[in-house]
Amino acid sequence: MKAAPFAYERPSDLNAAVALIAEADGAAKIIAGGQSLGPMLNLRLVQPELIIDIAGLAELKQAGRSGDELLIGACITHGDIEDGRIPDVTRSAMRCVAGAIAYRAVRNRGTIGGSLSHADPAADWVSALPALGAKVRLRSINGVRDLAVEHFIRGALETALQPGEIVEAVRVPVMRPSARWGYVKACRKPGEFAHAIAAVMIDPERGAACAVIGAIEAAPIVLRDAASLFGGSVTGNFRRQFDARVAEALLVEAGLANAADRHIHVAVLRRAIDEAA
Amino acid sequence: MTEIGIEVNARAVKAWVEPRTHLADFLRDHLNLTGTHLGCEHGVCGACTLLIDGMPARSCITFAAACDGAHVTTIEGLDDDEIATELRSAFTREHALQCGYCTPGMLISARDLVLRLDAANERDIRLGLAGNLCRCTGYVGIVRAVRSVIEDRRKRGIRPVLSAGREQLGPVGSGNGARGSRAQVSSRPANVEAPERASSAAAIPDFVADKIFEQHVTIAAPPAEVFAMFGDIKQIAACLPGASLTAEPTPEHVEGLIEVRLGPISAGFRGSARIGRDASTMSGRIVGTGNDQRSRSSTQGEIRYHLVPIEQGAATRVELSIGYSLQGMLAQIAREGLVRDLASRLTAEFARNLERRLSGTAESQRTRPASPVDGGALLFDVLRGRVRAILRGLLRR
Repeated sequence: MKAAPFAYERPSDLNAAVALIAEADGAAKIIAGGQSLGPMLNLRLVQPELIIDIAGLAELKQAGRSGDELLIGACITHGDIEDGRIPDVTRSAMRCVAGAIAYRAVRNRGTIGGSLSHADPAADWVSALPALGAKVRLRSINGVRDLAVEHFIRGALETALQPGEIVEAVRVPVMRPSARWGYVKACRKPGEFAHAIAAVMIDPERGAACAVIGAIEAAPIVLRDAASLFGGSVTGNFRRQFDARVAEALLVEAGLANAADRHIHVAVLRRAIDEAA
Repeated sequence: MTEIGIEVNARAVKAWVEPRTHLADFLRDHLNLTGTHLGCEHGVCGACTLLIDGMPARSCITFAAACDGAHVTTIEGLDDDEIATELRSAFTREHALQCGYCTPGMLISARDLVLRLDAANERDIRLGLAGNLCRCTGYVGIVRAVRSVIEDRRKRGIRPVLSAGREQLGPVGSGNGARGSRAQVSSRPANVEAPERASSAAAIPDFVADKIFEQHVTIAAPPAEVFAMFGDIKQIAACLPGASLTAEPTPEHVEGLIEVRLGPISAGFRGSARIGRDASTMSGRIVGTGNDQRSRSSTQGEIRYHLVPIEQGAATRVELSIGYSLQGMLAQIAREGLVRDLASRLTAEFARNLERRLSGTAESQRTRPASPVDGGALLFDVLRGRVRAILRGLLRR
């Protein structure tokens, strides 16, 4: 249960880090809080030659408003968000999600950028951020590019990161006052990997709804326009109009063969919608 | 080796550490601070919890090299701490420990709750302690002890400290040290992957799979052609991403290697499989075993396939039933769904490669450097859980 030997670099700033990552040409692993990579290193499931530690980079540990969105540095921890050490533009939605990630001792080191880069389907941000309409900003020596979170997560532990690229920040839009938020996950034990996650942001005033069904062991199902879940239009009565059959069909289409699993996902989605109502 | 300077229990310590040394080993082996216990060593049990920059953190998944300049407090450093003193009395009074193995981590987490929680709500205390496993007490005494300390302190007018007083952003322990430190590249032993003998076909037993799932894939070629192709182990192996044969295959037996990647994890399963085919029913079965030395994991797998004509016989639906058992380190993280997702991605790629070959396009010549194993590959997949269903499935499993 000890990690295999590796070389370790702690670059002094973001530019140096990105240059180092490019130089390593895919042979290096990036570590921030190490709460997902650490166990894999100890189990020797991952044996990189070089680990580049970005946790000390001040550029990645900032958060602030920029116009209609909040820019959250990749190395902001779940604990930073939970405790309100960074501004909140989601009317506490992100604080609640952050506070239920794993355990306090893990949240004090685990980072939002690391969680997205790791892309465990059962991770909270992988499902919550698409529902909030968030984007990720990726940096390499060639510059930056932005991607919607749902386009960034490609599958179980698979992302759109190219060799030499790292997550620099997460961009979260300000939640409208009329938007309703619901986030529910099913865990057999608190802090354990979720067996089902649902995140919804419903704005009856605008007739808009976004829904995410996550922890399906693949990239989450993201319905940017979730009106179909509510009989075709989103009204103030959305809770009553929720059509479980549509959700069920989506899960079948996504390849969830087990009826009991689908039932749990639909029940969790219903609870998230109830929470939003 | 990397040089670090850490403050441990208010004492400045300078040391050279290997980058791979985690904080708990550093404290226990270098500083003889054995109060920090190691249980699972992968961040689940909570026994190694201590304070870094005043906040609870897992010392088994925090590397000492990453804590340059940090303030670390172990259970030994809490002798005179007011909250810890009150908690120790309460733990004694409420019978909140028996063997004591979890107690150092439990006290650290409990202290954090006493500091932060507004009220002594049982639910919040239980949630807050969910990351610290105790196998002796059933938690009742622990919860009672923590609750009594919180109640007592609030009665005495001591307010909770939100955020436990932390203002700095980012992972606790990070960003305190000199920036730009560079570890000497530690001599990394070449990945010793001793070639291990694959077991012979006769030695591959039937087994009862822990997990079984079904997949199907459609191939734009008549069943007879697909079935013939499935009989050509070298061709099949060439279609299976990451697979290669390690010995000349026979129609009934194959030995090979399959490299699988699951996020940051890569594994090479080496093994062998026996193959059975029945032309009258257009079906077959591959049973195999394999193991990955690096992750010390082994797998057994079985792939059954059945070819069904569709589109008036112009195309084939390959129905796969994939069963596998996985043991070792990989089994710790390879949840069934992850394996299934991997399998479906592999299967899709396998089907595309197979179609190219069957249609005889130039693509078929462009085999990946590592090509081929059929059954072996299948087995391996199974092993890994990356069973993708298709041919590969067949192959691998």
